[in-house]
Amino acid sequence: MILNEEQLMLKETVAQFFAERAPIDHLRKLGEGSPAVPYDQTLWSEMVALGLTGIAVPEEFEGLNFGWMAVGAIAQEAGRRLVASPFLSSVVFAQNVLINCGSRSQIEAHLPSLLSGEKTASVALDEGRFFSPETTSIGESNSGLRGVKTRVLNGQASDILFCVAKRASGRLGVALISSSHVNVNIQAKRSMDLHGHARVILDGVSDADVEWLDGDTLEVGLTKSIDQTTILLAAEMMGSAREVLERTVDYLGEREQFDVKLGTFQALQHRCAQMYCELELAESAVSAALTGLDHNAAGVSALASSAKALANDCFTLISSEAVQLHGGMGVTEEMDIGLFLKRSRVCNQLFGSSTYHRDRFARANGF
Amino acid sequence: MSNEELDQFRAETTAWLTANCPPSQRQPIVREEQIWGGRRRVFPSKDAQKWFEACRDKGYTAPEWPSEYGGGGLSPAQAKVLQQEMTKMGCRPPLYCQGLWMLGPALLVYGNEPQKREHLTAICRGEIRWAQGYSEPSAGSDLANLKTKAEDRGDHFLVNGTKIWTTKADEADWIFCLVRTSDSTPKQAGISFLLIDMATEGVSTSPIPLISGESEFCQTFFDNVKVPKSNLVGELNGGWAVAKELLKHERKMMAAFDGMLEKPAMELLELAHYAVGVDDSGALADGELRADMARHLMREKAMGQLGERIYWQGKAKQADHRLPLLMKHLGTSEAQTKDELILRALGDEGVSMDDPSISEGLRKMVKQWAFNKALTIAGGTSEVQLNIIAKRALGMPSAEAKS
Repeated sequence: MILNEEQLMLKETVAQFFAERAPIDHLRKLGEGSPAVPYDQTLWSEMVALGLTGIAVPEEFEGLNFGWMAVGAIAQEAGRRLVASPFLSSVVFAQNVLINCGSRSQIEAHLPSLLSGEKTASVALDEGRFFSPETTSIGESNSGLRGVKTRVLNGQASDILFCVAKRASGRLGVALISSSHVNVNIQAKRSMDLHGHARVILDGVSDADVEWLDGDTLEVGLTKSIDQTTILLAAEMMGSAREVLERTVDYLGEREQFDVKLGTFQALQHRCAQMYCELELAESAVSAALTGLDHNAAGVSALASSAKALANDCFTLISSEAVQLHGGMGVTEEMDIGLFLKRSRVCNQLFGSSTYHRDRFARANGF
Repeated sequence: MSNEELDQFRAETTAWLTANCPPSQRQPIVREEQIWGGRRRVFPSKDAQKWFEACRDKGYTAPEWPSEYGGGGLSPAQAKVLQQEMTKMGCRPPLYCQGLWMLGPALLVYGNEPQKREHLTAICRGEIRWAQGYSEPSAGSDLANLKTKAEDRGDHFLVNGTKIWTTKADEADWIFCLVRTSDSTPKQAGISFLLIDMATEGVSTSPIPLISGESEFCQTFFDNVKVPKSNLVGELNGGWAVAKELLKHERKMMAAFDGMLEKPAMELLELAHYAVGVDDSGALADGELRADMARHLMREKAMGQLGERIYWQGKAKQADHRLPLLMKHLGTSEAQTKDELILRALGDEGVSMDDPSISEGLRKMVKQWAFNKALTIAGGTSEVQLNIIAKRALGMPSAEAKS
């Protein structure tokens, strides 16, 4: 539930690194450019040099095995600066799909280039309007893989795509495809939070050009990877929520109206106190979920659903309140508050809304 | 104490509990069978009396208090072992008493030797039942505004005034009170902490009917009551410090109260299945109730996880002093959310507290719903909690400090 000394040091290092190397201005600059560039390549190289690609990887695969609480701490610090990078999409999601779903030889073949930063990968999972990981209309067939994948995070900059599709047997599978394949058409997009994702059109990728992951625990492994990424996204959202609450409390402590600091008004104090309660409550659910990953606990899916639903609700509340409490300034581009607002709504759609997770939680608990 | 010694203590404890706690006292507690002690104490059964007396003689009604005052003299580690083994066996708490939870811990810090000897012993032997006299009709959240006066009359104090929300004072023997002994400012500086025998002439108590149909709380009146000066705890006009020490324990007690209360006839999930039913897919038939229940259960679980975080932080000497400030507000409001879900699920069976055609267990739930409206009021209202969080956790400026 808490960080050990080693992990605390890592958190401080990463916090300082992001503060110096990834201020929110950089994200704004990125947003002015082409959506084909979803993150700053130099920043990413520096993150690789810090060792962040191997942070969650077991030692048997040459990783640092720092523990999921540590990965959560990095995600939180990234969240504080709204950092755009392949940390969640490649390091957390794609690498763990490979580790959890691939065979040993597949892991040994593909993981090293991801760890070294030579390549990045994305998982092509979503298809419909809403997150629904159990359903796909793309299947193995004689005419090759055909269909459209959406919300592929940083897909426009990825070398490898892990595409979730149905095997001929009717079960879910994961197809490893090169993003430069002639029948893979990638449309780069940027969402309103200035982060990048892609729409990936598979136009008959023949079986010869596909490597199906064939680890022993493929289906369980896919669910596990999704749960891991859901929890880490929740951790990132908590970092953003904490940052925007702190900015709001600071602002109320400076801004004067009616000859007093706004922060002296009890109505506003109570709203901030409520937000802080929600923040630490959700943070506790996220810490418990990260700890669940560290202990490989049973019931991680329920922990993941709790963490994401509480993070969604909390970040939605705090970012909305932050805009309101910043008054007129809250709706201007002069401040970054609006970016936190937009980021929260984008995150809500990624890896499941609160509606999705409450339903999944209820089912897992027998109602 | 070494691990081996602690293991041995555990083995001894298990053996002692097995020998002394009758099977009937290992059943979940029901309210009517709680043992509150006091001059007028009654035991619901021979077994209950046997269990109480065994604990009393061993000092296990107050395991961590020094044995010279009737406690068990256990170290915190030993007390934890005892608690764990009692929980494992399902042993009922041997004694319920505000003296045990609140006054005792404060007396250990602020009481003088004769006071400790007299009162601590009587508390853990279950001989004296205590009530708390803090709030007054004009002093609720603004506790320091209390008006009950104790005048110095040489060899005694003369007490006049009234105390409200004195829990079960109609059954108590003694009451610990905050009284005004000086009009100096700030108001907190004129308050003293006084112990009053309720059998003294001039003390009277009347129960207050509550919206739950019960009258747990009373109002107590003091009309020219003579109180010996030896009953002053701590310094004259130094009562606020004692009160703060005691409130700390009240909050801790409210947090730990869970296992000591009667369990409801059905847990929320079971109740929802019973009352609402499921659709073809096995989901609760009321989709909105289902989603709200999931939300509540997640938050309830997160409350426990917040508690765990605080625990582990403390152990690792990384304590974040802000987190404990959130527990009361979050915990009590979530408890009320649960009550509202219960009432929604009950439907037509949730509209009466006394209709005999509805089972007693369900009616108790409805009463609990009404009673629990006090949770966000007693022991520091939610509004006061939010004030504290804003100031102490978030460092927001107070109104007096105008730019």
